[in-house]
Amino acid sequence: MKDIFATIYEIWFQLWNSDFSLIFDTLFDDYGYIMFGVSFILIPLILWFLFYYVWNYPYGKFWHWLGWLIITSLFVAVITLVIANNEIFISNNQALINALDDPDSGYKQFAESLPLKYASINGILSIVVGFIYSLILKQFSKIQMHLPF
Amino acid sequence: MAKKLYIFGIGGTGSRVIKSLAMLLASGCRLKNNFETIIPIIIDPDTGNGDLNRTKDILKLYQEIRNQVNQPDDFFRQEIKTVNELTNKSPVVNSDYFQFNLDNVNQSTFGQYIGFNSLDDNYKESQDDKNFTRLLYSEQNLNSNLNVGFKGNPNMGATVLNQFTDSKDFKKFGQTFVNGDAIFIISSIFGGTGAAGFPLLLKNLRGNTNIPNIAKIKVSQIGGITYLPYFALDKKDEINSDSFEDKAKIAIDYYNRTIIEQNKINSIYFIGNKGNTEYMKYAVGGKEQKNNAHFLEMAGALAIFDFCENINKSTNQTEVKEFGIENDSETIVFGDLNLNDQKEIAKPLTKYKLFSEYLNIGLPKALNTSRWTKSNIKFVKETENSFLDKQYFSSSEYKIQIKAFNKHFLEWLNEMEDNKPAFSPYYKINWGDALNLVKGEETQKRKKSFQPIDIENCKLITDINYKSTPKTIHTTLIKLFGKSTENVLKKHNLLKQEKDV
Repeated sequence: MKDIFATIYEIWFQLWNSDFSLIFDTLFDDYGYIMFGVSFILIPLILWFLFYYVWNYPYGKFWHWLGWLIITSLFVAVITLVIANNEIFISNNQALINALDDPDSGYKQFAESLPLKYASINGILSIVVGFIYSLILKQFSKIQMHLPF
Repeated sequence: MAKKLYIFGIGGTGSRVIKSLAMLLASGCRLKNNFETIIPIIIDPDTGNGDLNRTKDILKLYQEIRNQVNQPDDFFRQEIKTVNELTNKSPVVNSDYFQFNLDNVNQSTFGQYIGFNSLDDNYKESQDDKNFTRLLYSEQNLNSNLNVGFKGNPNMGATVLNQFTDSKDFKKFGQTFVNGDAIFIISSIFGGTGAAGFPLLLKNLRGNTNIPNIAKIKVSQIGGITYLPYFALDKKDEINSDSFEDKAKIAIDYYNRTIIEQNKINSIYFIGNKGNTEYMKYAVGGKEQKNNAHFLEMAGALAIFDFCENINKSTNQTEVKEFGIENDSETIVFGDLNLNDQKEIAKPLTKYKLFSEYLNIGLPKALNTSRWTKSNIKFVKETENSFLDKQYFSSSEYKIQIKAFNKHFLEWLNEMEDNKPAFSPYYKINWGDALNLVKGEETQKRKKSFQPIDIENCKLITDINYKSTPKTIHTTLIKLFGKSTENVLKKHNLLKQEKDV
């Protein structure tokens, strides 16, 4: 599982940088990638479940769906931002802590740019995943079956 | 075995009670003891009568809607047919067949009808003479035009109506009558047509050998409701409502001697109202006679339900019943009715009221937005799409049949509310507090709008039993709302009284 999620962020989205491998190793070893993955998979699943099966509003329109998609994306992004900050800046990896404390290493500057990148990637992924969930979950929804279309 | 109930509505009151009955049947009320088909037969020489034509229109709409619902099980459950449909096995809906035609009454005066001018003036040399006839009928009677009825004169009605059993329509009625079928007669005792027609009709049903199947008809269960005065007129002229009560007393005495004491009828219901009555606009007949619906007419329709329910308990002795309410109130609500009547009508009427008000007030918000009104949902099974889309609600069938019938229904309720005593069980409603409609039954739930109906509709729309076909295009709408309004009533506890019954 770690490998799959690491591949997504490091290879697909090309975040891997061999000069700062300590960060990526830490995210890999301390389940950071797992948490990122769970964020963009599980959070939209819960939120879209609420949208299709708990929200009993019979006048739902396309813009309600679109709004929910944006809210889901933002929510996932914020959660990812928090997780990334914790995983990188409050880690137990002493080597990484030392590197971040060393201003000449350039680690700190690079690390500070990463949480936002992970948040953005997860935000985008949650949109893709959310759309797929919509197509699946609407099949069994009584009230919102007509959304998004 | 499915049985038929023939309902003879005589005169204007007869038409109005049949109208009330049609409204209750549309709401889902049904006759007990396997009476599956109702055959309304209106007897009224006043063919232009506003009440008559409105009733015929309502009955026609009822049939048209019901014919386009596959196996109705709630709204419009009870079948209504004309005698003509029974004899010809024809599905064609023609409202004229709800009325039995009287020969030679169009464009003729009563004098012409009885051949007054051909009578002799010389009483000594002739077997018949004008002078004797003048003892029975006034000049006004003789010159009275029959195509507006008998203007409250039963002495005229008794003569003219005596011929209707010879008509083709009446023969058709006899031909369709089978064992187990029953007859109910509606008439008023204080007018002309009803007061004269009721005893005549009963006499013929109990023994006119010219009627086909008379052996079966003669021994069949016959019930009747007779209206005592329940309204007054705002003007005194040819018809004077001051005389209603005296006429009623004389007629009751006659009925007592010739019908009740001789056990000619199985059950007779009396209904009337004294004191708190409405003054209705004076009209001798014709299209001007279009009286507002009255609570007592609905109560009369309840007598028909009672008659069918107790038909097996009937003995050879005439049972006389009166209608009453629990609380003497100027504004009658469901709580003022006795428990049986509440049970009979409160739920169906409330459901249909919700349905018809929803289509007026609630539908615009849901149409083409709510899932149950959408037929173009993508990436789902075809069966998940709704038949009740914008196209259906724009169709002529919906507008000419459903909308028109519901307009009559709401008018009927409003008219009863405006009458005296008023039957006013509902508040005026708007979208936001639609479920707070039953007086004395205010809902405590948070959602009081039409939204719960839309929610139920969304949940039920894919039920396979509600699928319309091109020949039964109202199936989905009628069955869907029958069930969704039922669920909303239950979940929101809209009729607590009903639950206690």
